[in-house]
Amino acid sequence: MHKIYKYSLILITGAALTFQGCSKEYFDELSTNPNQVSEATLPALLSTSTAKAGLNTFTVGNAISPYVQYTAAPVAAAASDIYETINFTGMWDALYFAMADVNELKKQAVKQGSSEYLGVANVLLAYNLMMVNNLWGAAPYSEAFNPANFTPKYDTDQAVYTSTLNLIDEAITELGKTTSIIKLAAASDLIHAGDRTKWLKTAQGLKARLLIKTSKTAAFNASSVLSAVGSSYSSNSDDAGMAKFVLRNNWATVSRNNASLTLGGWLSEQFVDHLNGNTYGLFDPRIKKITDVTVVPGNPNYPQYIGTVNGAGNRINGSFNNTTKDENYISFNSPWTSDTAPLLIMTFAELKFIEAEAALASDPSRAYTAYLAGIRANMDKLLVPASERDAYLADTRVAVGAANLTKDLIFKEKYIATYLNPEAFNDARRYDFKYKDFTLPQNAVLSTFIRRLDYPLGERSKNGASVPAGVPRTTKLWWDQ
Amino acid sequence: MKKTKLFFLPILLLLTISVSAQVREIKGTVTAAEDGSTLPGVSIRVKGTSTGATSDPNGNYRIQVPNNDATLVFAFIGFSVQEIRVGTQSTIDVKMNNDSRQLEEVVVTTGLGITRQQKSLGYAAQGVKSEDLNINRQPNILNALQGKVAGATISSVGGGPGQGANIRIRGINSIDASASNDPLYVIDGIQIDNSTSTQGSGAGGNVRSVGNRASDINPDDIETINILKGGAATALYGLRGSNGVVIITTKKGKGTGVRTNFTSTYGFENVNKTPAVQTEYTAGILGVYQPIGLGPAWGPTIAEAKALDPTHPDQLFENYKNAFDTGSQLRNTVSVTGGSEAIKFFSSVSQFNHDGMLPFTDYQNLSARLNTDIKISPKITTGVNMGFNNSGGYRFDADRYGESLTYYSGRWDVRDYINEDGTQKWRGTNNPIFGAATNRLRDNVNRYIAGANVGYSPTSWLNFNYRVGVDTYTDNRKRTAPGPRGIPGERVYDNADGFVGEYLTSYRAINSTLLATATKQITKNINGTLRLGYEVYDRSTKDHGVLGSALSIYNDFRLVNAKTLVVSQGINQYRSNGFFGEATFDYKNYLFLTVTGRNDVTSTLSAANRSFFYPSASLSYVFSDNLKLPAFIGQSKLRLSYAQIGKDAAPYSTSSGFSNYTGLPTGTTGLTISSNLGDLNLRPEFTDTYEAGLEMSFLKNRLNFDLTYYYSLSKDQITRAQVSSATGFVTASINAGTIRNKGIELVLGGTPIKTRDFTWDATLNFSANRNKVISLKDGLSEIIYGAPTGGYINSPVTFKIIPGEPYGNIYGSYYLRYYGNSVEDPMRTDKSLPLLIGANGFPISSLTRQKLLGNSQPDWIGGFTNNFTYKRVTLSTLIDARWGFEKFNRLENFNSAFGIADYTANRRSFYTFPGKLANGTDNTKSVWLNQGIGPDGVNYGEGYYRNYHRSLSEPFVQDASWIRLRSASISYSLPSKWLPTKTIRNANISITGNNLLLRTDYYGLDPESISADSGSNVDGAAGMTYPAARTFLFTLNVGF
Repeated sequence: MHKIYKYSLILITGAALTFQGCSKEYFDELSTNPNQVSEATLPALLSTSTAKAGLNTFTVGNAISPYVQYTAAPVAAAASDIYETINFTGMWDALYFAMADVNELKKQAVKQGSSEYLGVANVLLAYNLMMVNNLWGAAPYSEAFNPANFTPKYDTDQAVYTSTLNLIDEAITELGKTTSIIKLAAASDLIHAGDRTKWLKTAQGLKARLLIKTSKTAAFNASSVLSAVGSSYSSNSDDAGMAKFVLRNNWATVSRNNASLTLGGWLSEQFVDHLNGNTYGLFDPRIKKITDVTVVPGNPNYPQYIGTVNGAGNRINGSFNNTTKDENYISFNSPWTSDTAPLLIMTFAELKFIEAEAALASDPSRAYTAYLAGIRANMDKLLVPASERDAYLADTRVAVGAANLTKDLIFKEKYIATYLNPEAFNDARRYDFKYKDFTLPQNAVLSTFIRRLDYPLGERSKNGASVPAGVPRTTKLWWDQ
Repeated sequence: MKKTKLFFLPILLLLTISVSAQVREIKGTVTAAEDGSTLPGVSIRVKGTSTGATSDPNGNYRIQVPNNDATLVFAFIGFSVQEIRVGTQSTIDVKMNNDSRQLEEVVVTTGLGITRQQKSLGYAAQGVKSEDLNINRQPNILNALQGKVAGATISSVGGGPGQGANIRIRGINSIDASASNDPLYVIDGIQIDNSTSTQGSGAGGNVRSVGNRASDINPDDIETINILKGGAATALYGLRGSNGVVIITTKKGKGTGVRTNFTSTYGFENVNKTPAVQTEYTAGILGVYQPIGLGPAWGPTIAEAKALDPTHPDQLFENYKNAFDTGSQLRNTVSVTGGSEAIKFFSSVSQFNHDGMLPFTDYQNLSARLNTDIKISPKITTGVNMGFNNSGGYRFDADRYGESLTYYSGRWDVRDYINEDGTQKWRGTNNPIFGAATNRLRDNVNRYIAGANVGYSPTSWLNFNYRVGVDTYTDNRKRTAPGPRGIPGERVYDNADGFVGEYLTSYRAINSTLLATATKQITKNINGTLRLGYEVYDRSTKDHGVLGSALSIYNDFRLVNAKTLVVSQGINQYRSNGFFGEATFDYKNYLFLTVTGRNDVTSTLSAANRSFFYPSASLSYVFSDNLKLPAFIGQSKLRLSYAQIGKDAAPYSTSSGFSNYTGLPTGTTGLTISSNLGDLNLRPEFTDTYEAGLEMSFLKNRLNFDLTYYYSLSKDQITRAQVSSATGFVTASINAGTIRNKGIELVLGGTPIKTRDFTWDATLNFSANRNKVISLKDGLSEIIYGAPTGGYINSPVTFKIIPGEPYGNIYGSYYLRYYGNSVEDPMRTDKSLPLLIGANGFPISSLTRQKLLGNSQPDWIGGFTNNFTYKRVTLSTLIDARWGFEKFNRLENFNSAFGIADYTANRRSFYTFPGKLANGTDNTKSVWLNQGIGPDGVNYGEGYYRNYHRSLSEPFVQDASWIRLRSASISYSLPSKWLPTKTIRNANISITGNNLLLRTDYYGLDPESISADSGSNVDGAAGMTYPAARTFLFTLNVGF
């Protein structure tokens, strides 16, 4: 018996030391992730959503800049220049993750009954979805953001377009309400600092973008474009941009990286020649505010503005290799791409050119006024000195008069105003890349201009059965026919 | 019924007779004559009867004897059988003498402090003893195991000081590349952490060369390492042992009195393999000399350059050699061991300093250990093991260093890197040594691993053991780089505006095990051992970090001096309990059956699924003890086992929520959907493993082999499956996917020559594993688990897991080939077919299309150890091989792009690429390989190497097979007559060379290195790694 007591004692001591773990709470208390919160607040989602809208503008702008020949790669036959397929999984994901966050913002806004937040959520959802739609056409939306469905179906190109338009219309309705008890948190709104009226104007501006995009189609209605434009921005101060950076503006980072030999952000010859007088015979003062003039000591050809030919890579220019700064690059000295410049989502100048295009047929004088206002606004945005601005605006090649205004002139000017902006790719396709001297890149792998992107590898491997069968990159989207 | 009764009748009668005689109890302790250590598991029998007993874990036994004439037979493998007549003694202590004819390593620590006779094991277990482990004096214990264990693929990330290494036992076990395939590490019964933390190390390929945590352990402290490979072997460890278990046993006090041992090792090292470079062409581009610029070698010849620039050196600087120093290392260890009958101890203090080959990298490790074993009473023993160490050093991103070196022209001496004012000496591109000198990360780890155990044996057949252990450390890291000094034209490399990062990781794991063991004779021929245990494991990791950027004062590395701060933090907690049992039946000491069961309860699964059970069974049949075999056959056995192993999820796999969005500056906070979608319904994952083995020895163990076949199938794996981002999530935790591993392991050993003065021992380890991913989640066609950084144009490869294919496949862009009328395989490229040559005379790239070009997992691995002993001199050699695998070579891709690789010296020549034109005719067009306009008047632009060769993957996914003389060591034991009597007991000197010879077709550096950290499963890229070292070490060992 004595032994039994002794064994029992040992066992109990051991058990006391070790069996403390048996209760259910012992395990349950570790089931929630301490690095997460289970419910998000409206301001916390607003700051993320507005920041991502800005950053995605950069990401998409960066992707399409070689296609519209704002930029060109320093190496020959770079995939981005020559229309080679590129795996844009990162960009696709960034757009969808942004929308997923906005979707949470929207759900919270509905739950808490805030028309302001709901309106902004609809604007941001539409904005990201528009970019997806513009790049790839058909895309998941009606079945997206559902944790129970890992393989959401793709809505058709036009169905996605309709969804974006509906979202914008809903946004206009919600943002028109002035009675919301829960108002936007100004500090968390990184685009319009809580200004509902600016959001309403942005919604109208995006509607104008959506509507003008259908200019080639039978559905196009110029008067509805003009009505939207009329309710949108009235000055540069309304512009939508995002300027809250961890370190600095992403374009400025491209520029600084290039300066320290992580090459990138080289301006295309097409864009530089557009401005430096080579193409139009008129020197545009904006180029001085967009890039830095190139100086090569001892070389009589410099200083000059010179771009890189898309697909050709670094200019074979004597012994200058690609680290000799003998071309033009995106510059952190530019007000457009400086360390603190906002990533511009949409500008007053762009809307003026939309107005000019929409009014051109029905009201040439309104169109001409808008055209000049667009140039002026863009010049001001770039901090072009007033005298140079006025001289340019007064030049007969610019001030052609209402009767002589053409779509070509409007697109020529809009091309500068949408520098690095995702909307430029839409315009180029609507305009069939008819910018003066715009040619296929060297070493192009397609025989015509690029019209869309291939679905990213990520979607093909994770949602392969839903991804539409291979569509060539030369196939036009529904509004581009 | 009747028959049965009749059958048992004689036994009953016999028992009755026994009882009626003068039965009494004999007790005693069995020890090893050599060192006085107690021997558990010794078989004690009364000669001529069925009565038997087994010594307990403390070597004690009790046995009933019928009378004084009885003779006790003590038998234990590895020792000579002893017979002792009882007489009038009641206590018989026995010293067992070694029997060299028997199998070595007869007692195996199978974990949880359980030691078992090797012959009773129904699964493969391979041990490495101290002297074999430390023969090549490797500071990281994982590297010390290389080539010595069948079935364990051990890779060193590189040759950096304190750099990491990893072990993969029997292949990759998970389709989730983010899941660890690292085995469990147990030191003296305490489960320890072996993670590789990349906290604070910034971006980059093999980020800052940080080490795996097991490298904290001083190899000199280790007595043995046992590797448990299969499911049956690891069954008692349960879920944490599912990738195998590495059981480390440190030295214990032995004998009586005090002995002191001093070991000092000094070594120096150099890069063992450098890239082959061309020595004709100097800096420039398109053949035009340009000394300052990013064109290290596309310029003119040296002679042509000298005509333009009289300061040009006569020969190019061999910067790939010049950029690395001679590294050195010094380890001093003092250990004291000893004790009395009641208390035995082992203690050691060790100081290790290592200066790396890459300038400004180093590592120190100060460690101390105290192991104490106390015998409180014959029935109660206790022990305490404690180890403390402080380790860390300066680390640099070796990939970035290697990349910068390829940009750096041989026109300039890379060692001439700094101006008098402290700014970088600029040669048109960054100098990597300036980077290493200024952009620094130092880690500083304080680690404490301790355990205590108490054993209680109330009777001869029953034992309780309780053990509690803790592994805790803090890892402090500081990363700094100065900002610009404000000197015009200064170049700051990667230092931007300067930064300072402070990071802290706190880790703590507590582990306790209660184990009860009962040993009983069940029938005349059957002995049984029953073990029941309960285990608790509780782990917590906390990370905090602040990175300050843009320094106000360029070299003031305090966070308060930074203009921008980015904060990171994380907590990870985990708990599990395990209940387990093991029953072993021993029939006539030649047939052993072991069955186990374990039930785990884990915090990472929901209440409904968190408790799960899995069994194992293993059989060992020592047929040489049963059957009459020819005399030349020694101990031989057959093994069979089946095991199921359960596995739980990674922490927090069941919960979803919102995380902090990191894209916002300080002062603005935001939330974003957490990347992983949790699932409350996750179920545990199970792996079924089957194993069979045959061990035989011949000619009194002059020759032996151990052959193992295994097969394991993991089903319903818990993975973080990648899902369409349209769901809003990056991954979702789900049960899906099946992966299979099967393979063979062969250990062949022997003593070909054994004379009085000369002995030759040899051991060959060989293993081959075949892996196949059977299925993934429905709707998921492939998992991309890694792409190496860098590589030009379309050359970067993709590592993908695809159903039906093995883990480790490397996909990349390829040369188009002429298929004629045959159909092209969309997945594989047929290298036997001729290249398709374009109208311009050059081969054609597939551009962004990718095919399977290789696999990073070896066909087989092998290690061949030979020990030659002549009197007092011992020569040991280890040849190590890994064969049949490929890696992407980023270094060669860059060396092609920049005209550095030796073969680019053919640039000023015409070449006709062998292959066929699209119309099927042979290519006859001769092309100029250089840049610019060729003698034929054609403008070749940037030339063949830049326009074609560097732009696709195929030339750079290379056979990385290697065979090497891993080590050769010669040691000499000084004769005792040379030594001062009474003060020095023994002395030994040795010289060791590591990595002396390497045979590989891989271009550039040693292909064993990995362009990833040691915790990564992405092992298919190498190139700009920390180079491997050829090391020479001198060791003095003195015992006092």
